[in-house]
Amino acid sequence: MKLLLATLVLSIQLFFAGEAFAHSALLNCFDNADGTFTCQGGYSDGSSATGIRIAVVDKSENILYEAILNSDSEVIIPFPKHQDFTILFDGGSGHSVQITSDVLVR
Amino acid sequence: MKKALLSSLGLAACVLCTAPAHAHFMMTYTPETYMQKAENADFRLVFTHPTEAGSVMDMGGVQEFYAMHKRGDNLKKTDMKKYLKDITWANPGSKAPAYAATIPAKEIRSMGDHVFVLIPGYYLEKEEDVYMQQISKLILNVGGAPTSWNEPVGLPTEIVPMIKPYALWTGNIFQGQVLSKGKPVANAEIEVEYMSNMPNMATNTMPKESSVDYKNPSLVTQTIFADENGVFSFGIPKAGWWGFAALGVGPDTEYKGKGLSQDAVIWVQANDIK
Repeated sequence: MKLLLATLVLSIQLFFAGEAFAHSALLNCFDNADGTFTCQGGYSDGSSATGIRIAVVDKSENILYEAILNSDSEVIIPFPKHQDFTILFDGGSGHSVQITSDVLVR
Repeated sequence: MKKALLSSLGLAACVLCTAPAHAHFMMTYTPETYMQKAENADFRLVFTHPTEAGSVMDMGGVQEFYAMHKRGDNLKKTDMKKYLKDITWANPGSKAPAYAATIPAKEIRSMGDHVFVLIPGYYLEKEEDVYMQQISKLILNVGGAPTSWNEPVGLPTEIVPMIKPYALWTGNIFQGQVLSKGKPVANAEIEVEYMSNMPNMATNTMPKESSVDYKNPSLVTQTIFADENGVFSFGIPKAGWWGFAALGVGPDTEYKGKGLSQDAVIWVQANDIK
């Protein structure tokens, strides 16, 4: 019986693990030319990223700004004073992705 | 009787002559259908026979050139006609008016699918005394997020892909559905051509040299048919650009008192696994 339960638990874990890794997290940010930039999150299978946390951090990993992606999986963020920063899509383990400010589409 | 016989003979000879001719294809071309992040995209719109760099034809102007893009649940149409510039496209032995456009990165900076649509004017095929209008689609993806690549964009006639046309490996099966006024076209006839003479964007030409040795004319333009649901399948044998043209499937069948073949075209790009 114990063996059966263990097998079931393992099977369920494998099932969810397989599903979880079937897509990749994606992040795209572009300059709005008005002192803000837009970030869009998403997944390679087209899943929504609504509710995912976006963080803007400096070189010392201080958080400069935090926001949650809206119902369109987007958020508008004011440009920080720091010249260089990193934008983090915090989708959790295996689903986080980050880009640096120099690759923003301008 | 004699006249009828001569006419029949003439027609037969003409059919015989035209049988090996290459297919007309409204070429909507940009070098890459995928961008990791938006960059300026260089387009050429040319009505030609892309296989073997055949004749170039006057497409009769551009009625519409735009891109559809979905953000969240909102499908937005962006006019791209304002970026068109007149050019002359020249293939060996033939040249005609065509169009160039540099689409600024700002127009395609949003992640996802940008479905480019070209609705050209009308071309009179003098040999057959019929007009042609090939409504053409090309799907450009930015950032890898799929958004609306497999949705119709509401054209009079169109091919809706069933596999991402910008994410094809060599050997994949490309599937599409032919629609007319949003309804599947049962048994639609589709011509398929490979772009074996790659466009030169700097000179607005196609070279004489082909990357393929065609053993017989039937290999230059392949003909396939859709099933009862308008769905067709084609195995992609080689990396590069493949054009699919569903012939005479549009709802309009007449223009200026002559017959009209209103066709639906889609271009896809296949990649080798390296």
